[in-house]
Amino acid sequence: MVSKTEEDQVNRLESQVENGGGGEWEYLCLVRKLKLRRSYNVLKYGLSILNDPKKRSAIGPEEWTLYEQVAAAAMDCQRLDLAKDYVKVLLEKFPESKRVGRLEAMLLEAMGLWEEAEKAYSSLLEDNELDPVIHKRRVAMAKAQGNISGAIEWLNKYLEIFMVDHDAWRELAEIYVSLQMYKQAAFCYEELILSQPTIPLYHLAYADVLYTLGGLENLHMAYKYYASTIDLTGGKHTRALFGICLCTSAIDQLTRGRNKDDKENLQLAPLSALALGKDYKQRAPNKVSMLASTLRSLKLSS
Amino acid sequence: MGGESRYEIHQDAYIKLVLHAVKHRTSSVNGVLLGRSSADGDSVEIVDSVPLFHSQIGLLPPLEIALIMIEEYYAEKGLSIAGYFHANERYDDFELATVAKNTGDHITRYFPQAALLLLDNKKLEALPKGKDRRPVMQLYIKDASRSWKLVGSEGGNQLSIKEPSGNIVLLDYLASEKWKDIVDFDDHLDDISKDWLNSELFQ
Repeated sequence: MVSKTEEDQVNRLESQVENGGGGEWEYLCLVRKLKLRRSYNVLKYGLSILNDPKKRSAIGPEEWTLYEQVAAAAMDCQRLDLAKDYVKVLLEKFPESKRVGRLEAMLLEAMGLWEEAEKAYSSLLEDNELDPVIHKRRVAMAKAQGNISGAIEWLNKYLEIFMVDHDAWRELAEIYVSLQMYKQAAFCYEELILSQPTIPLYHLAYADVLYTLGGLENLHMAYKYYASTIDLTGGKHTRALFGICLCTSAIDQLTRGRNKDDKENLQLAPLSALALGKDYKQRAPNKVSMLASTLRSLKLSS
Repeated sequence: MGGESRYEIHQDAYIKLVLHAVKHRTSSVNGVLLGRSSADGDSVEIVDSVPLFHSQIGLLPPLEIALIMIEEYYAEKGLSIAGYFHANERYDDFELATVAKNTGDHITRYFPQAALLLLDNKKLEALPKGKDRRPVMQLYIKDASRSWKLVGSEGGNQLSIKEPSGNIVLLDYLASEKWKDIVDFDDHLDDISKDWLNSELFQ
């Protein structure tokens, strides 16, 4: 997972390259470091370096890392011809390498040869049982074949061993959401919040799932977590502000006619509406009236 | 409601949806269709579309906010939410996702002839090679038994692009990587200065 600053950095480099200002190598290194999936551009920029002998010699021994990175990107973009070439180059240079062996197995995956890929991964695992990349490829393969329950099984097995892999927990949560298994998704976010309590993204995602699950108790919890998201982000988080408004409105509807005491803790809605109003006025002025009518229909005014 | 309705989608609305899917090719995406039915109820005109999300599709909060805002904006233009668009994560997945059906059900309550469109990746891939004028989407409508049925090109119910040049313009935009410029509601929620109306897109 990357921070906003890191993402901005990558996007800036990307525009720089697109506008002819160079920086391809920096971009490729950054994407590699942050483990982002930008295969389209990685392939484009990578090719421009690899196909130019001067540029290739300028990066020296990093050439091989680049071959690996571009091969993977090529597979993602279904340019199997290029991927095969680069894997061949790496095999010639590093004939006994397990790392290249993994890339070869990925190529089998990209070609849709699932059984062969599975065999390749199994044999690689024999020598290195705890290679997280191979375990994750298994999940990816299941997903790619549409075997979502298989993907869930493998991912759960993976998390039993690598329980600190936050990205894996997020992946699992997202898979559950895609299957409307919101209770299970909630569990994943609870694990994430437990281990990294100050990351607002997890609070927000948890709140979204709770709201989706519905029911008075979940709505109150969602409200709490939207509030903590706002707390952790200095009060400007658009999604969380909207979340407060939605929760307040929904709780209102469910508790119509009930004791006012139930609602005593929901004080944030008017403030959130105000904050949204201010932000829209400043950054999206042509949508201020849309915001106003949206908040009105939620029975809150800004 | 069923019967022999024809569905016609305006070029810009059509292109926005496909560009959105291409921009986020590694995830599912969805969008909402805006339109109106004809006076005689024989046809539905899909005049515009708004790309919605490319992550965590199915979570209610962003969807609810989006639908309220979109409805407010387009009501003034005399258009209703007339359907839903979905593109699956995987290339060969032609299953109509549950979230698509659920959202479609919700929309049908207010617009009985609502259309559910599913991106057809195979048709999209084949587009540059042929001269197909038909949209690269599958059309689903609710039949008498209240379930979503795929509509074939034979029979009265069919989907067409209003402007015959639709796919040619689309191919042009794909070649020029126009999909980089499209903004969806997810983008807007992450940065409200981003315009989900995409009013500058086709300038």
